[in-house]
Amino acid sequence: MVQFVKALRAGGMRVSLAESAEAFQATELMGIQDRESFRLGLRSTLVKQVSDFPRFETLFDLFFGGGPAPAFENALDDLSAADAQRLAEAWQQINQELRERLERILAGAPLSPQELEQMAGRVGLGHANDLRYQAYLAERMGRILRFRELEEALEELLRLLAEMGMAQARLAQLADRYGANVRSWRQQLLHFSGLRIAENMGEDRRPESREAILHKPFSAISDRDMEQLRREVRRLAAILRTRIALRQKRAKNGHLDAKSTLRTNLKHGTVPIEIRHRDHQLKPKLVVLCDVSTSMRSCSELMLSFLHSLQDQIRKTHLFAYIDHLEFISPDLTARDPRLAVEGVLARMPSGYYNTDLGASLENFAGRFLDTVDSRTTFLVVGDGRNNYNDPRLDLFDLISRRSHRSLWLTPEPPALWSTGDSDMNRYQPLCHRVLVAGNLTELSSAVDHLLAGR
Amino acid sequence: MDRTGEFLSPQQTIEALGSQRYIAGTGIATVVYLSQQLGKPLLAEGPAGVGKTELAKAIAGATGRELIRLQCYEGLDETKALYEWEYAKQLLYTQLLRDKLEKTLAKSKTLGESADRLAAEEDVFFSMRFLLQRPLLRAILSQNPSVLLIDEIDRADAEFEAFLLEVLSDFQVSIPELGTLSAVHRPIVVLTSNNTRELSEALKRRCLYLFINYPTLEQELAVVHLKVPELSPLLARQAVELVQRLRTLDLRKSPSISETIDWARALVALNAEHLDSQTVETTLNVLLKHESDLERARHRVGLTLPPNRPLGQGAGNLPPPPA
Repeated sequence: MVQFVKALRAGGMRVSLAESAEAFQATELMGIQDRESFRLGLRSTLVKQVSDFPRFETLFDLFFGGGPAPAFENALDDLSAADAQRLAEAWQQINQELRERLERILAGAPLSPQELEQMAGRVGLGHANDLRYQAYLAERMGRILRFRELEEALEELLRLLAEMGMAQARLAQLADRYGANVRSWRQQLLHFSGLRIAENMGEDRRPESREAILHKPFSAISDRDMEQLRREVRRLAAILRTRIALRQKRAKNGHLDAKSTLRTNLKHGTVPIEIRHRDHQLKPKLVVLCDVSTSMRSCSELMLSFLHSLQDQIRKTHLFAYIDHLEFISPDLTARDPRLAVEGVLARMPSGYYNTDLGASLENFAGRFLDTVDSRTTFLVVGDGRNNYNDPRLDLFDLISRRSHRSLWLTPEPPALWSTGDSDMNRYQPLCHRVLVAGNLTELSSAVDHLLAGR
Repeated sequence: MDRTGEFLSPQQTIEALGSQRYIAGTGIATVVYLSQQLGKPLLAEGPAGVGKTELAKAIAGATGRELIRLQCYEGLDETKALYEWEYAKQLLYTQLLRDKLEKTLAKSKTLGESADRLAAEEDVFFSMRFLLQRPLLRAILSQNPSVLLIDEIDRADAEFEAFLLEVLSDFQVSIPELGTLSAVHRPIVVLTSNNTRELSEALKRRCLYLFINYPTLEQELAVVHLKVPELSPLLARQAVELVQRLRTLDLRKSPSISETIDWARALVALNAEHLDSQTVETTLNVLLKHESDLERARHRVGLTLPPNRPLGQGAGNLPPPPA
């Protein structure tokens, strides 16, 4: 169970010491006789989020034996005396090593732990720590056992036995049993490799230099890093949320709230010693346009995750994605994981040979969605400002910017690059209230903080 | 169920909850049982209307405990959740007891002595008599064992969660004037959340987690049969199948089990015999509460129901009857 908890942690679930202690207590109460109760007991104490349920199920099956054990049948049990004689003679003619193994398969003996260990060593299972390699490594171990040669040897054996006069039905039965036992061996291998990988995952030290990944520029991020970044976003969003909420609470600066003042001052005999103000509705309304072309994809996705996590701090968001035209994506984002939402959007607008065209997207926006921007909205564009020499439609941008309360631009490129190539940043910059540069996750989180701070 | 009102095993929990007309699966029963045995609060998450609050009520009924409910909302703070002094009452008593006060202080000569005298009587004015107990304090001080339901904790803010952690860990409150008050009986705590935002990790760690999802066909049928027994089994099955199909559509708000029960009652009230497109048309707004959802549902589902007009004239793609 300790290994199991370690593997859960390695997979990204945060299981505390107290929770694992509770898991042990729960196991004591539920007992280990009934697999289902055991599983439910562990699940209630260890998993605290719906999104972690699938991972829990996979690892539970690996560690605590999902499904029935592979079935082995002994094919040599019920041979008649004559058949046994023939078999003994036929054995002589087959290669020694193969013969032993074939005999074992036919007899229905499972692979022994020592053999499994040995094969694991040869295949490098000791270093594997990714569940995606489970099938591949099981296959490689299978190759060590030389299943193909065993098949040939079996055919040879059957041929010999047929020559010696064994009944056809008997031979067919032998072949069937062989097939079934080989499948069971393969299952054993798969299970073993999965178990070993999960254990390795637990043993693995946590990926160090979390600081480094927070400062890695978006252009240099691999898929694996993205996984980590998504987790970081959740953590950072939690920190931001408390900060933003506190800021809003402290910043009450509206009119005097008479009812609340009186109530608070009852203990002072209704002498207004403490004054209470009615607070302005400080939560911003946002309209966000995200560039989802390949260069900007990771930055946009992380930005959307932030907004998704912080949506209780924002009064109303309208989210749009654009490459060469505009798509309204708020409905995609409301319930689901941001990554799935972005993937869904990208399925609708595949990038690649499309060139980013902010001008056309702004035209779409002005044509259909201009009413979402009013004097209390913050208008945000997430993009690098590179329009592939298309018309930047500065006039539309100016129109929208003046209509909104505040307009912000979020770019991953530093100011030095704003005049290079096809970048129109220099022309957009005077039209917006502020340009925020966010090249890595730390900067992105401070940009989000700033975004939700001011009025 | 033994007299002390404890659950003895997950199986027995299912029966006990069933006696309160709440159908629970093994998952729910296990978590409820563990929550009681380990003494940990229970965090129930899930879409709106699947029966999280009902679960707390059923637990209260099954264990014979009183249900104390705290409904959370943004801006909920300590005074509204824990306790408050009844200032008005204190002032009133002061006025009414003024004569007695004079007599008590009559014999003292200096101001200091009067103040000391008064301080000795302080606990008259700062006693339990003038303490307005809010749900949390009521749960702590309750003489009988109770079930504390903290409803929709995700609507409260982060500060309230931190405050709640403190209360839930020790079940004791220190009121400056009265001292520390500890719980006589530890209540069973049930927290519910609609998953609108993520709760803080510290709170989640302290609780056992239960996710209640939309029920399966069989489960929903069983619930409808239990709660609305007047509905004919055939109609119930048709209705539940329709609701299950509606859930597969991409709606803004999928109908939950409580809406299914309401719809079943509506069908009973309308004396419907079978599900045809007109009945569904008129009662669909019991199930779906958004206009866009209604449109989509009518479009997708309405076409597949038999019309109540004679064949050949109704809406839908039914072929004309063979000649």
